Amino acid sequence: MRFAVQVIVILVLASILELILPWWSIAIGAFAGGLVFRTRANFIAGFLGIGILWLTMALIIDTSAAAPLTTRVGNLFMGISPTVLLLATALIGGLVGGLAAVAGASLRKPKRKLKYY
Amino acid sequence: MSIAKFLISSILTLLLIYFLDNSWNIGGNPLPPLGRFLDPYHGFWQNIEKTDQKGSTSLDIKGLKAPVKVVFDSLMIPHIFADNDDDLYLAQGYVTAMHRLWQMEFQTHAAAGRVSEILSADAILNYDRSQRRLGMVFGARRAMEFMENDPIVSQVVRQYTEGINQYISSLDYASLPFEYKLLDYEPEAWTPLKCALLLKNMAQTLNMGDKDMEMTNALKLFGKQYIDLLYPDHEKVGDAIVENAGKWNFTPISLDTVPLAVPQEFISIAKLPKSDPTTGSNNWAVSGSKTATGSPILCNDPHLNLTLPSIWYLLQLHAPGINAMGASLPGAPGIVIGFNDSIAWGVTNAQRDLVDWYGITYENQERDKYQLDGKWIDTEKVIEEIKRKGKPTFHDTVVYTRWGPVTYDKSYRAEHNLKDYAFKWVAHERSEEVLALYKLNRAKNHSDYMNALNHFHSPAQNFAFASVSGDIAMRIQGRFPVRRLNEGKFVLDGTKQASGWLAYIPNEQNVMYKNPERGFVSSANQYPVDPTYPYYVTAPNYEAYRNRRINNVLREKNNISVEDMMKLQNDNYNLKAAESLPTFLNMLDSGSFTKDERAAFVILKQWDYFNNADSEGASYFEAWWDMLMPMIWDEMQKENLLLEWPTTFTTIRLIKEEPAFEFFDITTTKEKEAAPDILRRAFAESVKNIRKWKDEHADEVAWADYKDSFIGHLLPPMKALSIPVKTGGNHDIVNAHSRTHGPSWRMIVSLEKSGVKAWGTYPGGQSGNPGSKYYNNLLNRWVKGEYYQLSFLRGVPSQDDAIFITTLNPK
Repeated sequence: MRFAVQVIVILVLASILELILPWWSIAIGAFAGGLVFRTRANFIAGFLGIGILWLTMALIIDTSAAAPLTTRVGNLFMGISPTVLLLATALIGGLVGGLAAVAGASLRKPKRKLKYY
Repeated sequence: MSIAKFLISSILTLLLIYFLDNSWNIGGNPLPPLGRFLDPYHGFWQNIEKTDQKGSTSLDIKGLKAPVKVVFDSLMIPHIFADNDDDLYLAQGYVTAMHRLWQMEFQTHAAAGRVSEILSADAILNYDRSQRRLGMVFGARRAMEFMENDPIVSQVVRQYTEGINQYISSLDYASLPFEYKLLDYEPEAWTPLKCALLLKNMAQTLNMGDKDMEMTNALKLFGKQYIDLLYPDHEKVGDAIVENAGKWNFTPISLDTVPLAVPQEFISIAKLPKSDPTTGSNNWAVSGSKTATGSPILCNDPHLNLTLPSIWYLLQLHAPGINAMGASLPGAPGIVIGFNDSIAWGVTNAQRDLVDWYGITYENQERDKYQLDGKWIDTEKVIEEIKRKGKPTFHDTVVYTRWGPVTYDKSYRAEHNLKDYAFKWVAHERSEEVLALYKLNRAKNHSDYMNALNHFHSPAQNFAFASVSGDIAMRIQGRFPVRRLNEGKFVLDGTKQASGWLAYIPNEQNVMYKNPERGFVSSANQYPVDPTYPYYVTAPNYEAYRNRRINNVLREKNNISVEDMMKLQNDNYNLKAAESLPTFLNMLDSGSFTKDERAAFVILKQWDYFNNADSEGASYFEAWWDMLMPMIWDEMQKENLLLEWPTTFTTIRLIKEEPAFEFFDITTTKEKEAAPDILRRAFAESVKNIRKWKDEHADEVAWADYKDSFIGHLLPPMKALSIPVKTGGNHDIVNAHSRTHGPSWRMIVSLEKSGVKAWGTYPGGQSGNPGSKYYNNLLNRWVKGEYYQLSFLRGVPSQDDAIFITTLNPK
């Protein structure tokens, strides 16, 4: 549950930050998500949060595309297919999200200790 | 523990972001900043236009005096309605940049030799050096002297520049054109110099051809008698562009003929690649006496290296005093080829020698002084700074003389050559093209057209003209040096002022005529004028086939319709084949045929000489021809020695008339070959090539498949963005579509009194964005030889589904 919340928070935060800041703002979103909702799988949460965000956004754009730019870009990148390009987009975003979430989470003391306050 | 973890993961995150936020060159392959590029919120995904995408209905733009309406029609052609010239050109700059910013900037970078700033590679550095050493920026600066001082032109260029810059300043990363994201750089501010560079770029494509060094070598190698045989000044075939015998009523400028020193030297320079000699164009205007409507029709199709984004950008310019429509060059204000309410005009390249090379004698190795009329004159050394992406700046010293820059020297492509040559080119001179186009766009009749052309200097063009009032005309306009006999055919002596261009032909003495008796004017890069014209005319080459086919069709036809003209622009008749193939086939020794050769022979025998897309005969003929030329002119393949093959026409004439001509001997064999032997060998090789092609591709060798044309991206390394097309035609054919070059814009204008009508088609689309459906939406019709009727508006129409109106408001 907490994990799902963490993924969703990262996704929502990043999608808001992307509206006002450059692409690397996804790292801020994932970092915050890691810091506030630290779980046992922060990397996966960051990876999924950003990966799903980028994948969805790219898919939305691709389904209403007037021209096959994804095919053209795929051809420029050693002939990869539009699907692979979509997955590569999600992967790149996901990697940054995952690492940033780990960084955020590591800033906070382990949860176990918190309980004793 | 957790601090270490924090530090490590934070540093890793930052490193990853740094890596993904920057472009890299991995093993010679440039890699864009992957994170930035792939981010769906800002990266290339944002360049993908939606199927139902419309532009903004209104935009606020600084510098406008009044609102401007821009009507985009269903082809995405903008029709700009402005209240005054200033707003008109500002809007043209803005709208053109909206669709073509990357292209217009890249072309000016390419002209100025600045591509290394974007992409770094040895070949690109060499290219940049060549542009600097040819004096491209030097020429553009000379053109600027006029642009800045003429009251009309300075204003037009300033407003156009302002429009482009307004668009640039509206951009953020997400809205940046695709190529900037891919190559990881940003547009810089537009300047009037860039407009000048763009025009020089066109001049380079069209007016920089020469073979002076090649001819000098041929002279020394083969001797004078062969020069006249192999490279005649005039092939005397077909009609000249202007046949006006006996009507040149003026006193020509005559120069004291100092006997030109005939050079006796071998030049070994790795000369820069020339523009494709098959680059050319067709234009013609038919008088109302020969048309079905009784109104003149004007047609034009300029043949260029076909690229995406498309070379031309169509638009309509409407303001008090102007209502013109046609093809513009992205980066230059005004319309280059088009029509207005009263007239239409079209251009083809004027074949004329506008380049010379002057041998320089330096005082010493320092190259500080050179000899001129017995005195030592200072050279000017320009240090070119070529900035390179990811590499240190490259400095190149170019020596300038009064003749022009010394392009080739010990540091550039002439390591083994003993002498330096300075490059003189007409486009280095002052010029006024923007004013010429400004006036031409507004011309109402023949005399306005004449007045406008007086300002056109370079690149020299054959201007066809037709008017609603019924006139047709042709004028070969440019700045032409007065040449003495044979002047300009060989390299010249740079130590004497007298070997320079001592005068230019006055405008009113240029080749031109109006309403000729035959009822049409036409040009297709052939010889310009009848022999009674009182000036010596020479050029690197003339076209020998297209022009005759066009004239034959126009002469025979009456009651001409627009459809007839469409058919003629797409005509695939191969006159070269019709004139040569019967002889070739007769000369073939058919006794020794293989099975494949016999089949090829039958196909060729039955061929109708049309290079249609599905023709097999065309494939066999063209394959044969492509083998034949290098075999015949094997004498011209000398290491380190520049030579040029004689023309197609001369080659065929020699095969027919002098089959035992000694050049038909293949130098590497013991036997003495004649034309039939060499035809037989080339035939065998070409049939083998086609066999190989068939084994790899298909059972039938249709011409379109064999020719394998494509529309390439403007940036050659981006091969993946080019689009293959299957068409007929070829160079030397009216439908001049070879593998890479062809009709870049086909226009037909019917100048009817009830209103000018026009049709057009071009291989691409209005948008330069590969993520837009307008990137290549016009291509299919062009391939099929079909046209769009252009909507030439008289006023702002009311909004409907077919159009989209954007209002540009003063900010």
